[in-house]
Amino acid sequence: MKLKNESFKENITGYLFIAPQMLLFLVFLVYPIIEGIRLSLYKINYQTETFIGFGNYQRLFSDPVFVQSTFNTVIFVVFIVALTVIFALFVSTAIFDKNAKYVSFIRGAYYIPVMVSMVVMSMVWSFLLNPANGLIPFVARQMELSTVNFLGDKSWVLPVIIFVTFATNVGQAIILYIASLIGVPKELFEAAEVDGASRMKIIFKILIPMVKPTTIYIIIMNIIAVLKIFVVIQLLTGGGPNNSSTTLMYYLYNNAFKYNQLGIASAVGVIMFLITLALSIPQLRAMLKKN
Amino acid sequence: MFKKRFLASILSVALILGVLAGCVGKETSKSSGKSSSDEVQISVWLTPQWKGVLNASEDGADYDSFFKHAAERFAAEYKDHKVKVNVEVVASDQRDELINVNLNGGTPPDIFFESVFAMGDYAHRGALVPLNDIVDEDAKADIAQNFWDNVTFGDDIYFYPFSHNPGTLVYNADMLRDAGLEKYIGEENEIKTWTLAEYENILYGLKKDLPKNKYSNAFPMALFALNNQGDTWNLAYLRMFGNKFFDEKGNIIVGDKNGAKAANWLKKIYDDGLTNPGAESVSSNDANAMFQNQQLGVSFTNSILFNNAKADMESGKAPKFDMRLANIPSESGDPLTFTYVTGAAIFDTKDETRIKVSKDFVKFISSDPELVKASKNGVPVRSSVVEEFKGENPLFAAYTANDQFMFNFTGNVPGYNQLRQVLYPELQALYTGEKTADKAVKDYQSKGNKIIEDAKADSVIYSK
Repeated sequence: MKLKNESFKENITGYLFIAPQMLLFLVFLVYPIIEGIRLSLYKINYQTETFIGFGNYQRLFSDPVFVQSTFNTVIFVVFIVALTVIFALFVSTAIFDKNAKYVSFIRGAYYIPVMVSMVVMSMVWSFLLNPANGLIPFVARQMELSTVNFLGDKSWVLPVIIFVTFATNVGQAIILYIASLIGVPKELFEAAEVDGASRMKIIFKILIPMVKPTTIYIIIMNIIAVLKIFVVIQLLTGGGPNNSSTTLMYYLYNNAFKYNQLGIASAVGVIMFLITLALSIPQLRAMLKKN
Repeated sequence: MFKKRFLASILSVALILGVLAGCVGKETSKSSGKSSSDEVQISVWLTPQWKGVLNASEDGADYDSFFKHAAERFAAEYKDHKVKVNVEVVASDQRDELINVNLNGGTPPDIFFESVFAMGDYAHRGALVPLNDIVDEDAKADIAQNFWDNVTFGDDIYFYPFSHNPGTLVYNADMLRDAGLEKYIGEENEIKTWTLAEYENILYGLKKDLPKNKYSNAFPMALFALNNQGDTWNLAYLRMFGNKFFDEKGNIIVGDKNGAKAANWLKKIYDDGLTNPGAESVSSNDANAMFQNQQLGVSFTNSILFNNAKADMESGKAPKFDMRLANIPSESGDPLTFTYVTGAAIFDTKDETRIKVSKDFVKFISSDPELVKASKNGVPVRSSVVEEFKGENPLFAAYTANDQFMFNFTGNVPGYNQLRQVLYPELQALYTGEKTADKAVKDYQSKGNKIIEDAKADSVIYSK
């Protein structure tokens, strides 16, 4: 006991230094999570809160819109993450060893959309795709081509959102891959050259395995980001047509702020939190293993 | 060594205290609404209504001009407290999000000025305070009973009626003329009533004969279902074949054959290219902008939108054309018409002083003889103001003539806001062909009735 006290006294300065961060962490992260879990077990009106156990979760799983939004979210995660990783790898392996100015140019070109607000990007896409007064349908009508409502056709709306999100986010992955590829030891390439390995072999046998940690990082970060996809849905499709582009985050938002169903919204939040937590475990493991 | 550690400890304690002080300080300054000099601050939120104090043509006229002017006068004339009124305009489609976030965070605005239909749910949820005590006999005599009925939930008045905005169709008379449809054009100050057959002739005529070189990318009629904005017109269209929408118990009955017939008609005009394309992803805002750009022959409007559009034409913000009003037609030949009663409501902030000042402010703007003149931007609810301005605005007489065909589109049911969220997905399903007209209205009926049932159980007014 005495020893413990002494050790505490010894480290008190350290504890005090981390205290503000811990305090903020507890207040702004831990408390909302606990409060969210609590609220998900209640039916909430403006004036009263009634404990209903897992009633909100039961209602969720019997709601076809929730099932549809879960399905859509999974589709978005799978396709956007896969496209991002494949395309970013393709671009970065093609250019990382070229002239430095050229690499900078490509990096900059792909990174500009990342810096532009998603709201602005969505508005630009809306201007292009709006079926009544958008540019693309207008040009198509002028040229007497058959027009498709990219935002209102069930079979087009998901690919359009996937493309818009992918095009906006891929720059980040390219930057990370180029940085990682530049760090691959030169001796490996020289050895491969001596052995007469082709470019494809170098990419698949050396480059991709060497940047595996970056790939894991990009996958995890993108999964978490895409799980929360919202702005593009809100501004481009409003979840339509007939909820066919609704995502978990959009469903949560509607319940929380439009329908004022805080209990249901909290239950969706808890489910999303659990999914994100489950997906973060591999990353955490990889990090711990490394250390 | 000890000195160093002591200094470090002091520093870190100071940091923590600083952070705490920051949080606490912010909290106190926000929660009270009263400053040290006993100034009472109240917040007024409104959605865009009319521009200017009395006229949209005033210099610097904006949506908050009226309330800022009223606030200045109130602050100068109010005796009980020193008052500061903060006015904020919020986007209509963000209204519920903002109110819900602030209600749940315990920081609702003191006053919200909006159409009653959009705010009725807050009365049901117990978030508003009754205004019975600020409505006097003079007001009751000057404002017709149907407006008081509109703002009364249970036994209490929750909104002070200010003006009303009748919803109608608006058409581009120049386009009708250019398409050889002169005979359907009404008088300048008339709300033209067409039969359904005449209306279809107009739409087909516009599609066929509108000169393409003059009106590029133009369509006969506005149709939209992206979100809940402007959905009252969609609700009206669903009544075109005689459906009453609600039964006596407040349940939706649009799933019957008349409702399906109306939905079928919408689908037919959409498929025949009589509307803008992509109705499922076009919003009412898009449609309004298209009408102002002469890309639509017939669109939707209410009296405020109509005046704003006229002002935009006068100021050169939008192209000038001959714009006139028409009723929504029906199979029976009787027009379909509705109105939005607008007025101020007061949120229960639990602060007696602020509620008292807010009530006095609402009474001030709703009964001051000069300020109530601003209601002429819509249609005044006070007969004294209608009388004063009927010469200046001949449309007031036309709106009054329409009163007999008025229907109550909310049915005064609880859960109306959520009800709105289930209509447009069904219309989207209808337009994309995912559901038949019959299935779309039936699905809307069953989802809507479930919402009404749940909302009744939660309503403080129903459980009184």
